Amino acid sequence: MPAPPPAPEKVVTAPATAPVPKAAPEPKATLPQPAPSREPSKPAPAKEAAPAPAPAPAKATAPPLDLRTLEERLKGTSAIGVLTKLSLKNQVDDLIAKFRTYHAGARPPTLTDLKPSFDLLLMKVLSLLQDKDAALARDINASRDAIWGVLTDKQKLAEFS
Amino acid sequence: MRRLALAACLAATAALAADDPKQKDDLAAVIALQGKPCGEVVSYTVQGANDFVATCKDGNKYRVHVKDGRVVVEKQ
Repeated sequence: MPAPPPAPEKVVTAPATAPVPKAAPEPKATLPQPAPSREPSKPAPAKEAAPAPAPAPAKATAPPLDLRTLEERLKGTSAIGVLTKLSLKNQVDDLIAKFRTYHAGARPPTLTDLKPSFDLLLMKVLSLLQDKDAALARDINASRDAIWGVLTDKQKLAEFS
Repeated sequence: MRRLALAACLAATAALAADDPKQKDDLAAVIALQGKPCGEVVSYTVQGANDFVATCKDGNKYRVHVKDGRVVVEKQ
């Protein structure tokens, strides 16, 4: 808030001064850190004052899962059987292999090619989980962008393997 | 020798009488994951460790087994 100047007209002056920075902290927070749970409501004041373009503070709408957590929860859920889990793992591995090919520079698989495969696989996972482990399904769905962010980032994907 | 006969007997029984609803769901999910038509597994037989033949409601029959760490679904 700059100052409370005596606005002569009572109509909305100051078109877009203050409210913007608080509302939109980059919706596509690309998997912040594997840090467990920071206090999301109280970020460092210095960071808020200077909204740098790159860092994107951790204030996503739902706490996204990282791939490790996702993997562990999928392994642990009783909502799907052993063969189904193995089959899903096969498909996840296949998809990751395609992303590796992409990151290696080969071009038949473009990101545009890979996105439908990713969406389809996620849909399969969600449809398997939604009735018997709704919480996990919800969390995975909320992490969709974060997972995509990891897959499309060469370094993050390498760290995961 | 008697033990061996007993084990063989048990294995044969298992191959005929497997009827675990969870296993049926598991098999149906695997078949669906591979994009094959089935709908619902109405019965299955156990061929060996991680080796099944599933019969679907629509009449399709699939062998579902694990080979080299991969789940393979083959139409019978």
